[in-house]
Amino acid sequence: MREAITSLPGNPLQRIPGVAVTLVLLVAVFGSVAPGFLSPANITNVLVQSTVLMMLALPMTLIIMTEGLDLSMGAVLTFTSLVVAIVSLATGSMLLGLGAAILAGAVFGTVNGWLVATLGIPPFVATLGTLGTAQGLSLIISDGQSVVGIPHSVRDIYSATVAGVPVPVVIALVSYAAFHILLYHTRFGTYIFALGGNREALKYAGLASNRLLIAVYATGGMMAGVAGLLMTARMNSGHPTAGLGLEFDAIAAVAVGGTSFERGNGWLFGTALGVIAVGVLRNGLNLMALPSSIQVASVGLLVIVALFFDGLRSRS
Amino acid sequence: MTDLAKQALAPPRSLVSGDALQILYRLLAALLICVVLSFLSDSFLSLGNILNVLRQASLMFFIASGLTLVVLTAGLDLSVGANVALSACLAGTVIQQTGSPTLGVLTGLATGGIIGLLNGMMVTALRIPSFIATYGMLWVLNGLTYWYMAGETIHGFPPGFRQIGSGYLFGLPIPVYLLLIFLAVGTIFAQRTTWGQEIYATGANPVAARLSGIPIARRLLLVYGVSGTMAGMASIVFLARLNSAEADIGESLTLPAIAAVLIGGTSLFGGVGTVFGTFVGALILTLVLNGMNLLSVNASWQPIVTGVIVVLAVWVDMKTRRRTS
Amino acid sequence: MIFCKLQQTKKGMENMKECQRLICAVLVLSGGFAARARADGETIAVFTKNQTNPFFQTVRVGADAAAKGLGAKTLHYIPTKPDSIPEQLSQIEDVVVKKPNAIVFTPVDYKAMVPGIEKVNEAGIPVVNITDRSAGGKFLAFVGADDYSLGLDTARYLLKTLGSKGNIVIIEGVKGSLTNVDRVRGFNDALKENPGAKLLASQPGNYQRLQALQVMENLMQSNPQIDGVLAANDAMAVGAIEALDGANRKAQVIGINGTREAVDAIKSGKLLASGDYNGFVQGCVGTMIAIRSLRGQPAVTEIVLKPTIITRDNYQPYDVPLESRTCPSWDEAAKLGTK
Repeated sequence: MREAITSLPGNPLQRIPGVAVTLVLLVAVFGSVAPGFLSPANITNVLVQSTVLMMLALPMTLIIMTEGLDLSMGAVLTFTSLVVAIVSLATGSMLLGLGAAILAGAVFGTVNGWLVATLGIPPFVATLGTLGTAQGLSLIISDGQSVVGIPHSVRDIYSATVAGVPVPVVIALVSYAAFHILLYHTRFGTYIFALGGNREALKYAGLASNRLLIAVYATGGMMAGVAGLLMTARMNSGHPTAGLGLEFDAIAAVAVGGTSFERGNGWLFGTALGVIAVGVLRNGLNLMALPSSIQVASVGLLVIVALFFDGLRSRS
Repeated sequence: MTDLAKQALAPPRSLVSGDALQILYRLLAALLICVVLSFLSDSFLSLGNILNVLRQASLMFFIASGLTLVVLTAGLDLSVGANVALSACLAGTVIQQTGSPTLGVLTGLATGGIIGLLNGMMVTALRIPSFIATYGMLWVLNGLTYWYMAGETIHGFPPGFRQIGSGYLFGLPIPVYLLLIFLAVGTIFAQRTTWGQEIYATGANPVAARLSGIPIARRLLLVYGVSGTMAGMASIVFLARLNSAEADIGESLTLPAIAAVLIGGTSLFGGVGTVFGTFVGALILTLVLNGMNLLSVNASWQPIVTGVIVVLAVWVDMKTRRRTS
Repeated sequence: MIFCKLQQTKKGMENMKECQRLICAVLVLSGGFAARARADGETIAVFTKNQTNPFFQTVRVGADAAAKGLGAKTLHYIPTKPDSIPEQLSQIEDVVVKKPNAIVFTPVDYKAMVPGIEKVNEAGIPVVNITDRSAGGKFLAFVGADDYSLGLDTARYLLKTLGSKGNIVIIEGVKGSLTNVDRVRGFNDALKENPGAKLLASQPGNYQRLQALQVMENLMQSNPQIDGVLAANDAMAVGAIEALDGANRKAQVIGINGTREAVDAIKSGKLLASGDYNGFVQGCVGTMIAIRSLRGQPAVTEIVLKPTIITRDNYQPYDVPLESRTCPSWDEAAKLGTK
């Protein structure tokens, strides 16, 4: 499969330095200036804090590779985290909560895919519609209040460890591995590359590009479902607005990681680095206790600078 | 401009009439909504309510009008809300410190315009995709505004200045007059000037546009600059209307503006859409939100209804444009 | 002193006195050094909900003032996305690594932050809860205002001014927020006490000025006669006033928070009254309690500020710039609570 990647236009491997350099720089700076940054406890924190975003950014990479976008992920995440809370509260079972959340996410994802693929509505517009729907439904099923009193089994997910590694990080690693295999080692993966760069080829090969596209968006919804479990576990409650806006962070992480918005170039590892870079930035700034306004501006600057270097790279 | 360019730019007859048809459909939709609402609610057709709707639609339109030009080039400006906030805070400070509304207005417009130009430079010179560039700008602007305002609000402006937002002239709210002015200016600019035509061409087919000698970079700078300046303009009206400036007034402004542009028939792929369409889009969205308020519909339904309308409007557009494209 | 007795045998009584004086001097000096070491450099991490609401700015200024007065240092933690739950949770986790001496904490959401507080408890960092009472976790103390009483008393004041009759509208804050629930409950109870007053509508303004303005405009359309407006915070009250002004209508309006803007509006007669939420004092006292308990000084575990209504008659003490306000002394502070 490696040959397949290098033969695509705009070889993503050319962009390794971009986000990796940014990440190394951030780690170097914070390691020397921010007290406690390199401690094992803090590194664990950064990784755990990045898991929800990672769960969204992985499928977002695939969606962007198909020249699409999913603006509804944050709202769907909010909805699924409420589903986890409500269902696990009603049934006492964390697994039922997770199952219901994944199902709910899959429904939203499928609707997105159907709007984009079958009706041909631009992804920005289609997912904007789903965003509003998920946001409103979140307020309605929760009546605007937090959902509390959920079983301990949910909350334990966030703090439990497997061989010393926190469960959320394990879940993120497994997800990453799954997506990696999906994208680079299955036929479905090649189809995704084709959906972005060469949709006609799919049609000639007799493949239903519509159904493939729907599957891509549905995957996004399902991942939002799993992320919903993580979020509810972290807050030990479901909250009607907690995840809103996260899709923009995911899109930014994907872009910082080197995936381009056009022509189907995608680099999954870049996305992972992008997510961690954002997490490192926020964590480092917190440790330095810099004024919040500087933190806010820094997030914007990170994105701009990363993409600027990317642009320089692809031009040279 | 070369003859080749002129040929490339001359809009096919069907496209022009297609635009007019889209606008007509939308005006009919707006009318339908009005009829339905007047049945459902006694207070809808009252003069006061109609004027409120027009005024609220104007505020949305100011931001959305400049945004339309950006979207016509297949771009996006996510920073407009944050732009309004910073411009309002700076303009408000100037008015209070100098006592001169004129200086304040100039400050607001200048701040908005400079931000817009910076966006344009990121897109043209730095080659950053507009989605990301303006998203980054949004955060930077918020950071600046939070730092500058330090949690305070600026309040209390001269009554003369406040007329811009809350005053009436011959029975119509002043923002409505501003709306009409910018609607006219925007439409003439987009449809009847060379620059406007070049903007359409850039969005419709950037490669052909470049080949025909259109200075793409300069036109892009122009559209982002205009989008920013209109955000600055909006900030003045908000300042006058609310009689205050706060760091977070922009949070809830961007998505409705984008929704208005989309409902109005402007395509994200560029080259298709009108400023007038955006006005009707803003009107439709405001009417629906007004109706929900009058009918005391649970606020939770508002984002659902907004989302559905956007998708519906674009879908109808696609179905009806298919004939002409 | 035993040491001096040993000296006695060597050089006689006079030397014992010398020795005692010397030891006393050393003890006093070392006591002084110890006191100075205690008075410097405690780090207090202060958590607030956002950077945009002026109320939290007063809390932060109060915390800074208290810390400065006692020789300690504050670090502020504010989410970059206003009121973001995941961010505040991350900031708590990051702060636990940094290990400040104590934390003064306003939860972004009083239920969702409980796991974060439990982490702080596990790390052994003392924490004081201010403003919104957290639904769980162990705190040294709670310092806050009584939102219910603020709502009740401010509404009572308005109803009294109206002669216990008239058409009233309520503009609510953010649904699900603790302050909102209590304040609106206070409003409604005051209305129950005054059967001559009629509640026309109760709509959410989300604590936002623009939204309250538009809500008020819409309400004025459907209700030709509105005599009183009960707004759950000052920003919304001012928004409602702008709407009334724009339509050339008059009504009595009250708000809650006691912001600078509200005080100005009361001065000019546009706003009838505002319930004093006193973020400045909450910040002061919360920080003072944190520092005192670090120094082993006695502190209180609960201070719920007595409700004060700012009106035309008593606004003067509130009419000072934030920077020149001073924290109450500890004795004054301990008396501020109703408990």
